[in-house]
Amino acid sequence: MEEKPFKAMAKSLSPHDSSKSGSKGDIRNLWTRATLSQPRLNIQLTDVYEDLDPEDSSEDWKAGQWYKQPSSDGGAWEGWSERTAEAGTRQEELDAYTSEELERSPQRGDVEGLEDFGSKMDFDASVSSVNIMKHTHHRAYWREQQNRMPLPLLELMENEVLEILTKALRTYQSEIGRDHFLTKQLQRYIEGLRKRRNRRLHVSAH
Amino acid sequence: MKLKTGSFLWCLYLDKLYCLLSVRNVRALVEYFRLLDAHRSHTLNDVLFYHFLHHVTNWTRKQIMNVFNMLDWEAVGEIGFDQFYMLVCIVLAHENHLEEQFIFRHSRPVFELLDLDGEMRLGAESFQKYDFLFNIKKHDLREFYRDFDITGDCHLNYKEFKLFTISTMDKYQEKQKEENENEEKSLLSESTA
Repeated sequence: MEEKPFKAMAKSLSPHDSSKSGSKGDIRNLWTRATLSQPRLNIQLTDVYEDLDPEDSSEDWKAGQWYKQPSSDGGAWEGWSERTAEAGTRQEELDAYTSEELERSPQRGDVEGLEDFGSKMDFDASVSSVNIMKHTHHRAYWREQQNRMPLPLLELMENEVLEILTKALRTYQSEIGRDHFLTKQLQRYIEGLRKRRNRRLHVSAH
Repeated sequence: MKLKTGSFLWCLYLDKLYCLLSVRNVRALVEYFRLLDAHRSHTLNDVLFYHFLHHVTNWTRKQIMNVFNMLDWEAVGEIGFDQFYMLVCIVLAHENHLEEQFIFRHSRPVFELLDLDGEMRLGAESFQKYDFLFNIKKHDLREFYRDFDITGDCHLNYKEFKLFTISTMDKYQEKQKEENENEEKSLLSESTA
């Protein structure tokens, strides 16, 4: 296409997109603080976009694969680079805090000053580790929320796909036979999809 | 062509300026394609493709298979997501009467789709075969051949095709302008009455 679909995605995925930044600004702050103490700040794209739906344990399809397109990386991850920039800002704030503390205590003995400073750092570290634990629990939740489709739309899609595939199965059975591996594969897939749908309906009913 | 009311595609919409799907719509379409991909091959074969289009449109078998052959530009017998996305944009453009805008905005890909034999030229038969898709009227095409077939070979190369899309876009915009003016006049006359 003259304007490829993923380029359109790149255009739309602006960090200044008001519909996203307004509701997710707090969450992004939580995410940045949550990753500060972790040794690996550079998380893979596919890690963030992996499907966390516990019902889909048999799937190896990752929606994130579509986001591996080179033209989409820059656009899709403008927001991510913004978050890592905020992580850097937070680190700078901590550094500024430590330098302020060192300036404030010039009259104390070096050891005392260091001890006080050390205890304050320990306190900060413990507070931040508690926060990190809280945020780590929530992180999976928010990741899942970002990946999820709205339930009514998902139901509509699943019902429609089931109808289409059921008709396709009849064609497979008449054209290539019931014993063909493709027919069996399609049959298993349809049964899996039906079970998932029924489970979801059962959960939403209760 | 009519999209089935209440179907998933019926819920999607094109950006009217660029004639492309929004990010949200693409995200939903990716999910939909993933559900249809029963064999986990990241593609749809001809049977799945046929049943999908048969379910959501009122196209005949012949039309559906023509579309499949057009999109299967690598001749592998399967359609990937790129081609699927293209198809959905074309279908939505047709459904929302944005064909002229779509062809104008995406003249290169449309030209390459219609150029089935790879000769970089389009004959009248290409347009006739896919007139149900792009709503290219015979009358407009005849006029165009008369006015813009610079090479005189009754085939359109890309530049001539581009001129054709510009000319149909101009006509479409003039028609829109006229319709708006008529609407305003009728509103004014109603209000004065």
